[in-house]
Amino acid sequence: MSTRRTSRATRIGLPAAVFALLVFTLFPVYWMVSTSFDPKAVTRGSDVLPSGFSFEHFELVFERGNFGTFLLNSALVGLGTILAAAVLSLFAAIAVARFKFRFRTSVLIMVLIVQMVPLEALVIPLFLQMRDYELLNSLLGLTIVYIALSLPFAIWTLRGFVQAVPKEVEEAAYIDGASWFRMFRSVLLPLVAPGLVATSIFAFITAWNEFVFAYTFMKDSEKYTAAVGIYQFFGENSTAWGPVMASSTLVTLPVMIFFVLVHKRLGSGLAAGAVKG
Amino acid sequence: MKNALVGGGQKTSAHRPSTEGARRRRLIRLTRPWLLLAPALVVLAGLLLYPIFQVGKISLQDWEVTFGGGVGEFTGFDHYSELLSSELLWKTVMPNTVFFAVACVGLTVVLGTLVALLLNRLGTTWRAICSVSILAAWAMPAVTGTYVWIWLFQPEEGMFSQLAGALGLIDPATTNWFTERLPFYAIATLNVVHHGFPFVAITVFAGLLTIPRELYEAGMIDGANAWQRFWKITVPTIRPVFLVVTILSTIWDFKVFTQIFLMPGGSGSNEEVYNLGVYSYVQAFGQDDYGAGSAAAVLLTLLLVLITIVYIRALFRQGEEDL
Repeated sequence: MSTRRTSRATRIGLPAAVFALLVFTLFPVYWMVSTSFDPKAVTRGSDVLPSGFSFEHFELVFERGNFGTFLLNSALVGLGTILAAAVLSLFAAIAVARFKFRFRTSVLIMVLIVQMVPLEALVIPLFLQMRDYELLNSLLGLTIVYIALSLPFAIWTLRGFVQAVPKEVEEAAYIDGASWFRMFRSVLLPLVAPGLVATSIFAFITAWNEFVFAYTFMKDSEKYTAAVGIYQFFGENSTAWGPVMASSTLVTLPVMIFFVLVHKRLGSGLAAGAVKG
Repeated sequence: MKNALVGGGQKTSAHRPSTEGARRRRLIRLTRPWLLLAPALVVLAGLLLYPIFQVGKISLQDWEVTFGGGVGEFTGFDHYSELLSSELLWKTVMPNTVFFAVACVGLTVVLGTLVALLLNRLGTTWRAICSVSILAAWAMPAVTGTYVWIWLFQPEEGMFSQLAGALGLIDPATTNWFTERLPFYAIATLNVVHHGFPFVAITVFAGLLTIPRELYEAGMIDGANAWQRFWKITVPTIRPVFLVVTILSTIWDFKVFTQIFLMPGGSGSNEEVYNLGVYSYVQAFGQDDYGAGSAAAVLLTLLLVLITIVYIRALFRQGEEDL
């Protein structure tokens, strides 16, 4: 821990370790972004700096690759997911955090278990089912699946936020004569709002990043989400790495910005599951 | 809930027979949590639980795809006996899945712990800088992260191919790291560890902050060096944290799909590099054999359920009985 003596090993070792960590974590991001601006992307080889700076790959991605549509599809699916997931998970989280009832532990364990189920096991039956309901190739069908996928984590995280609200605050509202719904609207909701925002952003990221379902369900290229749309820049023999990296940058950067913004709340939520809150 | 009782009780008991009020309040107390839970439970049941039941059913059938719906013909455990007696499963698919998961979990937990210890020794500024860089690696979507690693290791033009060629280690024109199992999975491991260690680092770091400083001071007075302090103080004190990150990583790394599927040859053209998830997917959607694909998916699910049970027991032992 806090050694007051700084030996030579720490004076050299610590900066070296920090440097190695920064390179390992950030180099792939740097390589992606710099390739997307490099006019001679494919032949850059191991040059650390790009050979020039141009937006040509981005132009190609939007004009010929129809990537604007894909980004819009992803945004629509993501928004639908967070609207539904936020409401459903908040109610469920209040139920498991604030009420004592039979089977409460069973419900919580079930929420934990369904989170562990591999998507490959779900994609086969859901694909066959959605085909019967003619919901393949539909953004709505995809949204419904993502709501379900993001619910377990959202419930689990929001439960922590609801528990963190002192019961006394609620009691005070009741003493003032508030009904349960009045208390929910004026006391609980404002207090868990930051957690709700963080959880919603995470649900959005889940939907935005998801690949297996989007790839399997969406066969009409007009309906691709962004994560699937990148795939089309891969050729039979050669790959256009400029456009691939440009579209990857467009998919990655919003996620990164959001994630860094909400990490504090989410991080404590994530760790609370492990460290026992 | 107790609060609701107290609040409502004072009002109603004043001008109503108390038994009727009590019955109404008990009804509310019993139904409100379930009313709140109902929408989420319906969605989870319909879209996660029912499909799990379905995949089990399909795995016992030959699924015929017809116009406007599919028809299943019951075949008993044929798909399972076929799956479990196939050489591909035992020689390729299972070893790939298990060894890959073990390598990823080991590296993820070790690297994550080292980074957590590093964060713990840094000052505020550098800690913040490192945290943001860790978060960037964490936030990298699996899809785009995989593309970047493919691009870095791309035969001929990729950065690492060029570097290794310049050092004379390989001939970039003829070396393809994606065709053989070992280099293929080495790259996949790098990808998964890069994406997975931030969770471990941040969680373990949060755990480190909970350890009382006095323990280390006592250790230092007793003359324990850093290595001994780590094993005798840090590890035992936050053992539950290590347990949880290890089990969660195991669950995640067993079901890695996207990172394998998107790599060259990973989507079915190269049997050598199948893992259980990819095998199931290719059987179902590549060969239209939904029954066989479901059987493999059930096998994967059972493996994960086993690990999950261990996880939940660990959670309970950790003292969250009041879950």
